[in-house]
Amino acid sequence: MPGATLSRWTMSYFAIACLMLLTAQGLMAAGYGYPAASIGAPETLVVVHVTVIGWLSLLMGGALLQFVPVLVARPLVGGRFAAPALVLLAGGLAALVAGFVALSGSLDLPLFLLPLGGGMLLAGFGLLAGVLAATLRTARPLPLPARFVAAGLVCLLAAVLVGAAFTAGLSGLDESAPLARLLADGVPLHAALGLGGWLSITAVGVSYRLLAMFLLAPETDRRTSRAAWWAMVLAAGLVALCVVLVLFAVSGVDVLFTAALVLSLAAVALYGGDVRHIYRSRKRKQAELNIRATFPAFSALGLSLVLLNIPAVRGGEGVAAAVYLFVFGWLTGLGLAQLFKIVAFLTWLEAYGPILGRMPVPRVQDLVEERHARILFGVYYAACAAAALALLAGAPGMFRGLVALQLLATLALAREFIRTRRLAVVPAALRAPAGMVQPHLFLPLSASRR
Amino acid sequence: MDEDEKAALAQDIRNALRMIIDPEIGQNIVDLGLIYDITVEEGGIARVTMTTTTRGCPASGYLKEAVGNCVWYVPGVEYAEVHMTYEPPWSPDMMTTA
Repeated sequence: MPGATLSRWTMSYFAIACLMLLTAQGLMAAGYGYPAASIGAPETLVVVHVTVIGWLSLLMGGALLQFVPVLVARPLVGGRFAAPALVLLAGGLAALVAGFVALSGSLDLPLFLLPLGGGMLLAGFGLLAGVLAATLRTARPLPLPARFVAAGLVCLLAAVLVGAAFTAGLSGLDESAPLARLLADGVPLHAALGLGGWLSITAVGVSYRLLAMFLLAPETDRRTSRAAWWAMVLAAGLVALCVVLVLFAVSGVDVLFTAALVLSLAAVALYGGDVRHIYRSRKRKQAELNIRATFPAFSALGLSLVLLNIPAVRGGEGVAAAVYLFVFGWLTGLGLAQLFKIVAFLTWLEAYGPILGRMPVPRVQDLVEERHARILFGVYYAACAAAALALLAGAPGMFRGLVALQLLATLALAREFIRTRRLAVVPAALRAPAGMVQPHLFLPLSASRR
Repeated sequence: MDEDEKAALAQDIRNALRMIIDPEIGQNIVDLGLIYDITVEEGGIARVTMTTTTRGCPASGYLKEAVGNCVWYVPGVEYAEVHMTYEPPWSPDMMTTA
């Protein structure tokens, strides 16, 4: 059945995600949130959640709806819930952000928006995780990349549950002592479960498969990959245990959290070795830009984890720089680099898949312009590294300028994605053969064309 | 239809399939090693066994349909059947060119 596994709503997830990234960068460039406000200030929470939920989680959600079926070679189960999940997530984020704004006192809004947003996000992520988990369930025993995704989904639910509890506490809906303790000491745990557990473990798992696929490298089940999975799962388990210890006021959180960070570093070292192995065993001589533009993201991952493992950095102002590098160097860099490919791939499937074999069609690579994008990725990463240094050096003005530069690079990359969707780069002779239907910019295909 | 004619038709089918590219790699599916077997039986019945580079790839359905369409149009083919398999799974070693 042609295109049976083409995800209908992925491009819509991506479109909202890109808008949220631009929003977050715009807010930071305008001086909203940290470093003008404190790390825990409501303004900073706005920027953080627009980035992590609006950009990274929607990006990951949209990508998983497309690639989990590829990882397990089974069709998506319950794909009809992808759109309601997106509505709940976007609405939940809007309510959450409005709640933070209310908390900041800059607008007179009801604090009830916080738990409302938390509840909607819990429902939206629950629905999304349910669809993906049901798909994974049909393919047991799971291949290793899918096991990373399964672990990431568990972390997602843990992070969202802690976040929803936070909203109950911050709004005054629940003033119990355990929740007060969680609010006081649980923020790093919530962040670790979300950024490390959900986003990073999942990204690592998917990348094992995608790197081998794009580089034409043999897919081997390496012992180091399995060890990386165990180390990451153990680290996430320790963080989850820390949440329980905080709730019940049991000591030992610092030791366990430190152990989780050390395990994460070990896992990343193993992962780095695996990536090197995949790259070296590739049959494709010239790696495409989506792969080359991922290398700085890998470096940012390693460097930020080294920094977070240094107690002086973790406990001081340096933590902001390390987290910035993790979020914008590793996760965002990886996300933008892979979007460059995935948007082209999905657009090709929509436009040219149905007429393949009937007439000459372009390659996926003909839908992108690497020359422009290479420069944009260079500017993005250079500005990102410099922005992290500006945070470390305590230079907020310079930080804002560098974030503005990142924003410009991101805007230009978004323009490249739009040009790909519009088939603007495809050689004229191949662009619009008879029978080809122009894809929508971000709305899904009609059901009859799937 | 003698054996030589069957072999010649199988070769024609193989040549015709070279017009289909794998969209990701940009090479034709024959040289990529995605066509595992072509058999021609009495009466111009053609059976093609093929795979894709990645199991579960969203392009699989399009590739299978393209192969079917292509084979039907080869002169001498009266009936075409395409079978998708992942046994053995494709590996880069199966490519005739890198």
